[in-house]
Amino acid sequence: MRLRSIFLAPTALVMVLLFFVPLLIALAYSLLTRGPYGGVFPPWTIENYQRALDPLYLAILWRSVWLAAVSTALCLFMGFPLALYIARSARHKTLLLNLVMLPFWTSSLIRTYAWMFLLRDTGLVNTLLEGLHIVRAPLPLLFNDGAVVLGLVYGFLPFMVLPLYATLEKLDPALLDAAFDLGATPWVALRRVVVPLSKPGIAAGCVLVFIPCLGAYLTPDLMGGGKTVMLGNLVQSQFTTARDWPFGAAISLLLMLLVLLVARALAKQGEKLL
Amino acid sequence: MRRFLALYAGAAYLFLYLPLVVLGVFSFNSSKIATWRGFTFDWYRSVFHNAALFEGTMNSLIIALVATAVSTVIGTLAGYALWKKRAPWLTNALYMSLLAPEIIIGVSLLALFQWAFRFGHLRLGLHTVILAHISFSLVYVVIVILARLRTFDPALEEAASDLGANRWQVFRHVTIPLLMPAILAAGLLCFTVSFDDYVITSLVAGVDSETLPMMIYAMARKGISPEVNALSAMITVGLGVLVLLASRLERSR
Amino acid sequence: MNRRVFLMGVAGATLGCTTGHERRLNVYNWENYVAASTLPDFEREFHCRVRYATYGSAEEMLAKVMSGNSGWDVVFPSNSFVEPMRQLDLLAPLDHTRLANLDNLSPLFRAPEWDPNLAFTVPYMHSATGIVYSKSVARPPVSWADLWTDSYSRRVTMLDDPAEVFAACLKQLPASINSGDDRELKLARDLGVQQKPLLRAYLNEEVRDQVVTGDVLAAQMWAQVAQVAIDNAPNLAFAFPSEGFALYADSCSILRESKHQDLAYEFLNYLLRPQVAAAIANEMRSATCNSAARELLPEAQRQNAVLYPPVDVLARGEWFRPLPTGVQRLRDRYWTEIKSA
Repeated sequence: MRLRSIFLAPTALVMVLLFFVPLLIALAYSLLTRGPYGGVFPPWTIENYQRALDPLYLAILWRSVWLAAVSTALCLFMGFPLALYIARSARHKTLLLNLVMLPFWTSSLIRTYAWMFLLRDTGLVNTLLEGLHIVRAPLPLLFNDGAVVLGLVYGFLPFMVLPLYATLEKLDPALLDAAFDLGATPWVALRRVVVPLSKPGIAAGCVLVFIPCLGAYLTPDLMGGGKTVMLGNLVQSQFTTARDWPFGAAISLLLMLLVLLVARALAKQGEKLL
Repeated sequence: MRRFLALYAGAAYLFLYLPLVVLGVFSFNSSKIATWRGFTFDWYRSVFHNAALFEGTMNSLIIALVATAVSTVIGTLAGYALWKKRAPWLTNALYMSLLAPEIIIGVSLLALFQWAFRFGHLRLGLHTVILAHISFSLVYVVIVILARLRTFDPALEEAASDLGANRWQVFRHVTIPLLMPAILAAGLLCFTVSFDDYVITSLVAGVDSETLPMMIYAMARKGISPEVNALSAMITVGLGVLVLLASRLERSR
Repeated sequence: MNRRVFLMGVAGATLGCTTGHERRLNVYNWENYVAASTLPDFEREFHCRVRYATYGSAEEMLAKVMSGNSGWDVVFPSNSFVEPMRQLDLLAPLDHTRLANLDNLSPLFRAPEWDPNLAFTVPYMHSATGIVYSKSVARPPVSWADLWTDSYSRRVTMLDDPAEVFAACLKQLPASINSGDDRELKLARDLGVQQKPLLRAYLNEEVRDQVVTGDVLAAQMWAQVAQVAIDNAPNLAFAFPSEGFALYADSCSILRESKHQDLAYEFLNYLLRPQVAAAIANEMRSATCNSAARELLPEAQRQNAVLYPPVDVLARGEWFRPLPTGVQRLRDRYWTEIKSA
């Protein structure tokens, strides 16, 4: 028992000091009034929460959830085979894993700019398509929801691959062999053996992708051309151009509460994520 | 199926590296705007002469390494303890730290630090950034470790303790070696999250602790900037070489 | 666990205290506002080290500086932020006797509306918002209303800045860019929503490359950035819309919290030197508020109508002003409505 307390103590300390306390500060912010030029001042009020329940902001929430869900699903489908490949490769596992992470050690901003460069009307992709006469006019590959999903999937792929790898790596090959011996095709083996056994990894990956997607602001802003407002953009703008910190804090806290409630409801039904 | 997987993996890596290739090619572009004008090494030269950039990179590396080391260690310990017996308040807290938009974390941490600094002559600096990074990267470690532990066979631990090992010895000699791949994966994730962080870092960094993402954002706000491309290409190649060396060392062990 | 971090923190703090043998100045500025030689020359002449960092928006700077303990010495607020910062007691009052080069300022900026006595700020660079466009279009834009027509096959962008977009909409009504009237703001919002299907995107300076390559035919853009684009692609031109447009100026100021006020004054004075200001304006294509410096610029730059519009054009411009809280909230709500339409 004591060992467990020692193990938990450092993390608990960090979370209390560097998360709970700032959270309380954010809560306090959300109940105060905005200063004329940013910052927070008395009087105390709950009007920020009342404002947040406006249909305009609920529509933004819905849109964000939808885009995040699509991106997460795509990430899963794209990341699973890759994680499987790395987990089953005989010799170069760490290298392959590192190679997945390597692009993400350069700034995500400039990689997003590189995508914008590739996808715009005079960009590489369209030039290629036109050159090969596959299309006659440039396709609108940028500044729409599709581009946003692409940007999000690209930006969060490693967050899906790593947890998947962590569970797939320890998958007992004997189980797969048994499945094949019993006459299963690779597809069936995948569906009925591998996937169910890697559920924790899938769940972890989905959590690590879906939630940051909800709060993402830079990728949707650049790839979407600033034409849509997602939750991340909304919160970000409250702390920058709108200078309404209390409202930003209120939205953030409501978002956190909402996802927490949904997650607990899901957890009660199926396997717990954490 | 192996061949299909290998082909798919190849395509996936291509997808991952495509923007980097673009950046690399344009780092040799002699025009500042994104139309190809001519080949030049000028941007690389200017990066080498940029002392501020070097300092920023060093700052980023120090912060990421320290934060990763601390987070991975205490996160692994916590993940193990949580696997043995749940602690809902802690897991919910970790969950929420993942959930909170970066800017609200950053603003609140800034307020906390500024308030705490009234009791000492401290300023924002590397230490505040490291603390902030530890706080938001812990959850990644715990999630990865727990995901791995779910498929962990408790019989292995039981066997060890039946043979007379105490709890700590079981953990150290049985569990940790088996957890190593997950620990490495978690550490890698941590490093990535920390090295690339911009929003929180920019809010809690002091005057002297500018990090690489902060500098890159400043330089690249106008669009593709060849100097930034040159810098990114160098970082990628440099880290790539390190990664290759590390895998060589690991295999020869 | 935290011991290592704590030790590092202590080491860092003591290190910070002991590097006092060399004078330091911490300058926080917009990007593209110093030339390559500006800071090294200053460091050499005054035997000091300058820590220089940049920000992309005045709000970002204000958020950092608001605590009163940020560590910065010199910042560059834009004109609509001077009054707020003064009210928040963040700016140090300027002692003009220590700023000998103040006379170099252009008469336009000796008594600007946001700081009539130059009590807290020294104007630095100015610019305006207009339309940069490709000369190949059939209908060159001359007014904001032109961006609401379908003449550019949707290859139009506006700035991703509520103040700027509202300015363009309000000017068409016509109304002041600083209007707080709900009726006018609602009409402006409706105009914004109307325009959205015709727009390719809301982008700031990152659209510069796309204008140069021709992806975008017309863009709402700041004059300084437009000038850089024009330098790179001579088929581009810039228009000051006929209905009126927004003007802005960035000024240098010393923070009240600064511990290096002597050096800060030297720096401000240094920036006011004609040669220094001219070098910056020339290299960065920014429009300097320093008339003595403007004399030193090459002919093409000095008479450049994009950077230094003639008086009759300037008369159509309007300076941004700080807005009361209620108005800001209205505008933010309408901006969100435009963006999510």
